[in-house]
Amino acid sequence: MISWDSFIVFCAMLGVTYSTRLLGFFALRNRTLSRRAQTVMEAAPGCVLISVIAPYFVSDKPHELIAITLTVWAASRFSMLITVLIGVGSSGLFGYLFR
Amino acid sequence: MTSLPSPRAEFLRGIKESSPMLIGLLPWALILGVQGGQKGMSWLEMLLMTGMNFAGGSEFATVNLWVHPLPVLLIATVTLMINSRHILMGAAFAPYLKHLPLKKAMAVLFFMCDESWAMGLAEAQKRKAAGLGSLNLPFYAGVCFILYITWIGFAAFGAALGPLFGDVAAWGFGMAFPAVFLVLLKGMWKGFAAARPWLVSLLVAAATYLSVDGAWYVPAGTLAGLLTAYGFGERR
Repeated sequence: MISWDSFIVFCAMLGVTYSTRLLGFFALRNRTLSRRAQTVMEAAPGCVLISVIAPYFVSDKPHELIAITLTVWAASRFSMLITVLIGVGSSGLFGYLFR
Repeated sequence: MTSLPSPRAEFLRGIKESSPMLIGLLPWALILGVQGGQKGMSWLEMLLMTGMNFAGGSEFATVNLWVHPLPVLLIATVTLMINSRHILMGAAFAPYLKHLPLKKAMAVLFFMCDESWAMGLAEAQKRKAAGLGSLNLPFYAGVCFILYITWIGFAAFGAALGPLFGDVAAWGFGMAFPAVFLVLLKGMWKGFAAARPWLVSLLVAAATYLSVDGAWYVPAGTLAGLLTAYGFGERR
């Protein structure tokens, strides 16, 4: 049920994530980061998340472009569950209508 | 001063006070699990991933990048970038962990996620005001216990359910990924000026996706955003 390469991926994730948790405690506890370094670190998670979903914004299917627009709007207003329902619902509905 | 509550009572209070968060966490874990199951991850793989990593954003990204052969280096890099905020969180936590033996501090840090960090820190600051000034370990343990069990349990349950749904992409379920990520982004939103690097990331990632095969759009977009943040760094 677990392949070796999956296990290697999980070990890599464990190593990387646990390191980030320990690093701040051990290396930065008595130091203040420069403003520039803080800005970069604050921006980093958002930059990764938006890069991962970038393909949805340039989809060649019109119904997905409409759905992603609606999803962006929903995310700015609603909780996760409602946003997911609006995203999935609109993508499914427009996909059905435009087929 | 009245006598202090027992560790057991504090542990239970940690569970109780963090339980409203489960309403948000539970569907999120289920969605992660179902998506993983759809991508071919077994429930045991999902249990191991969430149990060993325990940082939701990077787990969603990993599931999205889950193709065989697995891009180990890419997943590790993306995980590092998404979780780099833990460095600052750990640093902020440090003054409250100083009194603990190293082994306990390491355990505290293993379970440090956005929610447990926020709860633990708020509680520690309250205690500081009351002259106690340190992390309330039993309380924190209660918070982490319920968050951890819920997260890995429901993610694994979702992964077991995932394959039952058939081709969910046709039903629009593919849109659940960006929906989750966009809500995460909203949680990090600090105004348009701070979000400029995100826009650069989006544009560069999209352009790379359209022109280069493979998942290179993720590091390309991220790097462009980080360089932008670096450029704007001193001006804020």
